[in-house]
Amino acid sequence: MSHASIYLSVLVFLPAVVALLLALFCPKGADEACKQFSLVTTLIVLVMSLLMIFGGAPVQFAAGTAEMQHLFAWDWIPSFGIQYLLGIDGVSYPLVALTALVSALAMAASWPITKHVKAYCILFLLLETGMLGVFLALDFFLFYVFWEVMLLPMYFLIGIWGGPRKEYAAIKFFLYTLFGSVLMLIAVLILYFNSDLTKLSEDKLLTTGVIPRLALEDGTLASEALAIADWKVSPAGTRFIEAVEANRPVHTFNILALQQMGQTTDLFTAEGWLGKSLSWWAFVLLFVGFIIKVPSVPLHTWLPDAHVEAPTPISMILAGVLLKMGGYGIIRICYPICPDAAFELAYVVCGIGVVSMVWGAFAALAQSDFKRMVAYSSVSHMGYVVLGFGVWSAVAENFYNSEYWKFGMNGAMFQMIAHGISSAGMFFMVGVLYDRVHHRDLNRFGGLFAKMPTYSGLAIGIFFAGLGLPGLCGFIGEVMVVLSVWSFSKALAVISAAVVILTAGYILWALQRVYLGAEYKGPHEEALTPITSRELWIAAPLLALAILFGVYPRALLDYMQPSVNAQVEALAKLSKDRGYTHLALSEEVAGEAATNHAKIVGR
Amino acid sequence: MSSASIIPNLLTLAWLLPLVAFAVICLGCSMVQRRQGQVPYELQRRAGLLSVGAIGAATLLSFIALFVWLGTHEWTGGAHGGELHPNGPPRYYADDWYSLVEIGSLKLTLGYYVDALTVLMFAMVTFIATCVHVYALGYMHDELHEVTDHEVNVRGRHLHRPGRFHRFFQYLSLFSFSMLGIVIAGNLAMVFMFWELVGICSYFLIGFYIERHSASTAANKAFIVNRVGDFGMLIGMMALWASVGTFSFGDIPQGDKVQPGLFSQLRNESNDFALVPTVGFVSPQEESADAKYPGYWLLTIAGIGIFCGCVGKSAQFPLHVWLPDAMEGPTPVSALVHSATMVAAGVYLVGRFYPVFTPEALLVIAYTGCITLFIAATIALTATDIKRVLAYSTVSQLGYMMLALGIGGWVAGMFHLMTHAFFKSLLFLCSGSVIHAVHTNELPLMGGLRKKMPITAYTMLVGCLAIIGAGLPIAGIGLSGYYSKDAIIEQALSFAKLNGPHRVLLLAPVLGAVLTAFYMFRMWYLAFVGPPRDKHRYDHAHESPRVMTVPLLVLAFMAIAAGWNVGPLCITGLLESAQPIGTAVGAKGSLAAALTIPAESLSHAPAIKQQAGLWAFGAAALGVLLATVFYCWKVMNSSEVASTFRPIHRLLLSKWWFDELYDWVFVKPTLAIGLGIAWVDRRMIDGLIHFLARCAKWGAGIVGSIFDVRVIDGAVDGLAALTWGGAGELRKIQTGRLRQYVMFIVLGFLALTFAALGVAFAR
Repeated sequence: MSHASIYLSVLVFLPAVVALLLALFCPKGADEACKQFSLVTTLIVLVMSLLMIFGGAPVQFAAGTAEMQHLFAWDWIPSFGIQYLLGIDGVSYPLVALTALVSALAMAASWPITKHVKAYCILFLLLETGMLGVFLALDFFLFYVFWEVMLLPMYFLIGIWGGPRKEYAAIKFFLYTLFGSVLMLIAVLILYFNSDLTKLSEDKLLTTGVIPRLALEDGTLASEALAIADWKVSPAGTRFIEAVEANRPVHTFNILALQQMGQTTDLFTAEGWLGKSLSWWAFVLLFVGFIIKVPSVPLHTWLPDAHVEAPTPISMILAGVLLKMGGYGIIRICYPICPDAAFELAYVVCGIGVVSMVWGAFAALAQSDFKRMVAYSSVSHMGYVVLGFGVWSAVAENFYNSEYWKFGMNGAMFQMIAHGISSAGMFFMVGVLYDRVHHRDLNRFGGLFAKMPTYSGLAIGIFFAGLGLPGLCGFIGEVMVVLSVWSFSKALAVISAAVVILTAGYILWALQRVYLGAEYKGPHEEALTPITSRELWIAAPLLALAILFGVYPRALLDYMQPSVNAQVEALAKLSKDRGYTHLALSEEVAGEAATNHAKIVGR
Repeated sequence: MSSASIIPNLLTLAWLLPLVAFAVICLGCSMVQRRQGQVPYELQRRAGLLSVGAIGAATLLSFIALFVWLGTHEWTGGAHGGELHPNGPPRYYADDWYSLVEIGSLKLTLGYYVDALTVLMFAMVTFIATCVHVYALGYMHDELHEVTDHEVNVRGRHLHRPGRFHRFFQYLSLFSFSMLGIVIAGNLAMVFMFWELVGICSYFLIGFYIERHSASTAANKAFIVNRVGDFGMLIGMMALWASVGTFSFGDIPQGDKVQPGLFSQLRNESNDFALVPTVGFVSPQEESADAKYPGYWLLTIAGIGIFCGCVGKSAQFPLHVWLPDAMEGPTPVSALVHSATMVAAGVYLVGRFYPVFTPEALLVIAYTGCITLFIAATIALTATDIKRVLAYSTVSQLGYMMLALGIGGWVAGMFHLMTHAFFKSLLFLCSGSVIHAVHTNELPLMGGLRKKMPITAYTMLVGCLAIIGAGLPIAGIGLSGYYSKDAIIEQALSFAKLNGPHRVLLLAPVLGAVLTAFYMFRMWYLAFVGPPRDKHRYDHAHESPRVMTVPLLVLAFMAIAAGWNVGPLCITGLLESAQPIGTAVGAKGSLAAALTIPAESLSHAPAIKQQAGLWAFGAAALGVLLATVFYCWKVMNSSEVASTFRPIHRLLLSKWWFDELYDWVFVKPTLAIGLGIAWVDRRMIDGLIHFLARCAKWGAGIVGSIFDVRVIDGAVDGLAALTWGGAGELRKIQTGRLRQYVMFIVLGFLALTFAALGVAFAR
C-alpha cells in the first residue's frame, strides 16, 4: 500500500468512520460533544487537504503538473472491471480543498441546530465523504456510488432539519437529482458496454491506472516493466490476456481510460439511435444529468426551494460544493470522453450557460425572500461556469488559437471556487439574520448597518464578491469567462456582458433594503444583537479568501491551470486533427496569424 | 537611481499610501467598535488626520515626481508650433508588477504606464484631494458628536445617531487609492478594475447618509448607470482582447525582449504611426470578400465600446442622469469625486486611449460631448439647488472636454480637464461653505450672503470667472478657464472650417459658453447679492472656519493661475510633450470619407485664434450681461420670462424628463421581466413538474386500483376462496362415524398398494 492510497482514502473516509463511531458510541444527550467531535473531524480533513500543498503531508500535490497525481487502483469487483481508483489533479484538488473548507465552516455554522443533533452530525459527515469521494473517484462506478451516497444524507438533512415546506423541497431535490443520476447511469452503461481496453496501448494502460503501479517498500513507484509483469499474473491481467487471445472486448469503468478511448479511438463514434452517435447520446445524457446539479435553466427550479427550506449550513454546502459537482462532471467526464459531441453541441452548451446567467439574474431581481434571491444569484453565477466550459473557440473565427478557450475554461474553474466562497458566505450571512429574527422578507429589513456594524461590513464585502467587484474573487472568474466568449460568438459575448448590469441591480437593491435605511421594519427588533465570535470566525475567513483570490488569483490558478490547459490542448488538437473547422482556413495562414498577432495588414 | 525607476517608484508609493490609511482605519476602527460598541470620537478624529496625512504625503511624492520629470525630460516650455514630436515619440515608462492571470500569451496584469500625462494627473489629483481632505476636516465636524439628521424621521422624530467621522475618511482614502490606480494603470484591464473600484467608492460616499432613502437610492442609481456604461466598455475590451490579445498600453520589457503593447501594435512605425487595424481584427469574411478596410469596423466598435465606459463615468448623454442625484453625498465628495477627479476619469481614459480611436469613433465622441454640453447647460439654467447647478455645469464642462477630444483637440481637452478640476472643486467647496452656513441648498432661500461670508463669496466669484473663461483677448491674459476654453473653441473653429456638415460642433460650444456664463452668474447673484430672502437663515450665517477657507484660497489661486506660463510649470507644454504618438497630425476618416480631423497645431494659427477668442469673449460677456440684467439689476423679471416660455421652462425644470423616460423604458420593463420570469419558474416549470408528479401519482393509483385489486388480489383471493371451498367440501367427510373411517382406511390402503404396484410394474 502506497502513502497515496492511504492518505487519499483516509481523506475521503475519515468523516464516514467518525460518523460510524458517533452512531455506535455517542451517548444520548451529548449534543455539544457530538458537534465538537464533528467539527474537529471536518477540521482535520481541512488540514489534511491543505497540508498537501503547504508541505508536511506524506503526499504532496505538485503544482505545475498537468497529469493525474497519486493515482492508485485496487480491484473492487474484478468481474466487471470495477476498481477502487482514486487520484488527484489540478481540476479536482481545488474542489477537494473547497469541500473541506466549506464543510468545516458549515459544521461551525451548525451550532444553532438543536434537533436530533446526533443524527444531524452523522448525516453531515456522511455527506462530506460523499462529496470528497465524487471529486477523487476516477472509476465511473465508484463515482456513481459516491454521487448517490451524497444524495441520501442531503435528502434527510433538508427533509428533517428544514423549514416549513421541507418535505416538498426535499422530495423535489431528491427526484430531480435522481432523475439526473438515472440519465447518468444510462450513459455510464452505454460507455461501459462499448468500451474496450484492448484498444489502448500499454503505456496508456499504465497512465490511466488500469495497470496499477504499486509502491515498493521504500516508497518509490515500481518501474513500468515490473508493474506490467505483476499485472500480467494478476486476475485482471490474466482476464485481459484471455480476452485479447479470444478477440473479446474488455469493458471498463475507468474514467481516464474512457477519456483516452473517446479521444483516440472510434469506439464511441458508432451510430446509436436517430442518426446520432453513441458519443452524442452519452454526452447529452451526462450533460443533462450534470446541469441539473449545476443547475441550469430550465432544470433549476429545485434549487430555490431546496435553499429556502434547507437549514443555513446545508445551504452553504449546497451552494458551496454540491453545485460544483455538476461543473466538475462536465469538465471531467462530458468533455474529455465525448469530445465530438461536445464540439457539435458547443453552441447549445454556451447557450444554456448564457440563458442561465440572464434568467437567474432577472429572477433574482423579482424575489422578495432574501434566501431565494441568493439562490437565484447562484443560478446566474453558475451560468458563467457552463459558458466558460463551452467556448470552444480553438478553430472559430480568424485563427487557430486555443488560448481563448483555455482562458474561458480556467475562468470557469476559477468561477466555481469563487462562487463556492462567495455563495457560501452569502447564505451564511442570510442565516445569521434568520437565526435572530426568523424571517427573510427583504421588504421587512432595513437599518441593520447601525445595529450590527461588523456583521453588515462583512456581509457587504461578501455580497460585493458576488457582485463581481474587482479586488474580490467573483470578478476574476467572471471577467475571464466573459473575455473569452467574443472569439467564440459575438452575440453571446454581448449578452453575457449585459448581465453585469442586472447583477449590480439585484445585489445593490437587496443591500439597500436590508442594510441601509433608518429603521428596521420587521419583527423581533430586540433580537438584532451584534455578530458573535463564532459567526465572525466563519464569515471572516470567507471574506479574507475572497480578497486573496481577488487580488492574487494565481494563488489558485497556478494549481489548476496546468491540468485545465492540458485538457483544452488535447481537445483543441483533436478538433484540429479531425478537421473540425467552422471556417476553412489554410493551416499555414492560421498558424502564422496565431504566432504573429502584431503583423500588420496593409490597406 | 535613474528617472526610469525613480518616477514610477515615487508614484507607486504615492498611490499606495491612501490604501494603507484605508486599511488601518477600516480594520482598526472595526476592532475598536466591536470591542467598545462605538468608536471614540477622539479616535475618529485621529483617523481623519491619518487619512489627511496619507494624501498629503502622496501629494508631496507626486510633486517630487513631477519635478524629477521636468528636470530629466525634454519639454517644450509653452506653446510651440506643434510640430510633430521633434524629439521622437513621447517618453513613457511601462512595466508589470505582477500578473493576475497568465495563460499562454494572454495576460491580465497589474502594471504601470507613466508618461507626462500620468505625472501631471497625479499632481493634480493628489493636490485637489489634499485640499478637499483638509476642508472635510472642518466640514464633517458635525460627525464628531451625536448627529441629529433633520432629513430623516423615525416614528415622528428626527433621527439621532452616533457620528461617523472615520468612515467618511476611510472612504475618501479608498477613493484616492482607486482614482490614482486608474491614472497609473498600465493596461486596460487594470483601468477597468479601478474604474469599478472608484464606482464603489462613489457608491459609499454618495450613500454616506445611509439612513436617507434618497441617498441610498442615488448611490444605487450611480453605480447601476455606471455599469450600463461598463457593459459597453466590456464589449470594447472583448473586441480588443480577441483581436490583439493584450491590454497593455505600452511596450512591456520581458527579459531582453519587448512585448509590444496596444499602442505600438496599432500605430506601427512602418505606417508612420497611423492607426491601422492588426490582422486580429480582420474577420475571415472580410478577408475573403476583399473588403476595402479590413478590420476597420471592429476597431471602430472597440473604440466606441471603450468610450461607452467613459460616457457612464463622465456622466455624458445619455447616461448623465446619475450625476445630479449624486449630490446627495456630503459636499466635499461632490467637490472631489463628482467634479474634479472621478468624473474626469472618463475624459482621462479617452485621452489615454486616444491612439486607438478611429476618426469615426472620434466623431461619435464629439457629438456625444456636444449634445451633453448643451442639454446640461440648459438644465442648469433653471435649477434652484446650488449643488445641482454646479452638477449640471460639471456635466456640461465634461461635454466640452469630450467634444474637444473628439475633434482632435487632445491638448485642449486634457488642459480643460486640469483647469476645470481646480475651479470646479473650488466652486463646490464654496457651495459647501455656503450650505454649512445657511443649512440649505436652495438658492431662493439665500441672498446677500457676501457681507456675511466675504472669503467664500469672492473665491466663488473667482471660480465663476474661471469657468466662464474670463480674460482679456487682446492682452491674451486671463484666468485658467480662459486658456482652456479658448483652446477648445479654436479647435472647434478649425474643425468646422474643414468639415462643413458638422458645423454644429462649433455652434454648440459657443452657445454653451453663453449659457455657462448666464447660469453661473445667476447662481452667484442669487446667493450673494441682493437682499436676504430668508432673514432667519441670513442672521445665522457666518464665515466658515479657517480649516475650510484656506483650501478655498489655495484653490482660488490655482483657478486663476493654472493656465499661466510660469517658469518650468506650464501645463500645456507638458501636455504637448505627452500627446500620443501619431495623433497630433490629424486624420482622415475611412468609413466616413468626408471626415477630416484637423491637426491641433492648425488651431494655433493667428487668424483662428483671434476669431475664436472674440467669439468666446463675446459669448461669456453676453451671458454675464443677461444674468446681471435678470438677477442683479432686476430690470427684467425672470419669472415673467419663465411663464412666457412655459413649455420650455417645464422641460428644463423636469430635466428633459430623462428620469421619467428611463424609468418607463428601462427600469419598469426590467422589473416586469424579472417578475415574469419568476412567474414562469413558479407556474410553468414548477407547474409542469407538479403536473408530472400528479400524473405519476394518478398512474400509480390506476395501477393500484385495477391491476393490484383485480389481477393480483383477484388471483390471491381466488386461491383463498378455492381453498376455503375445497376445505368446506372436505369437511363433509368428517362425520365422526367409526365404521366409515375404517372403510376409508381400508380403501386408502388398497389404493396405495395398487399405486405402489403400478409404479413397480411400470419400471
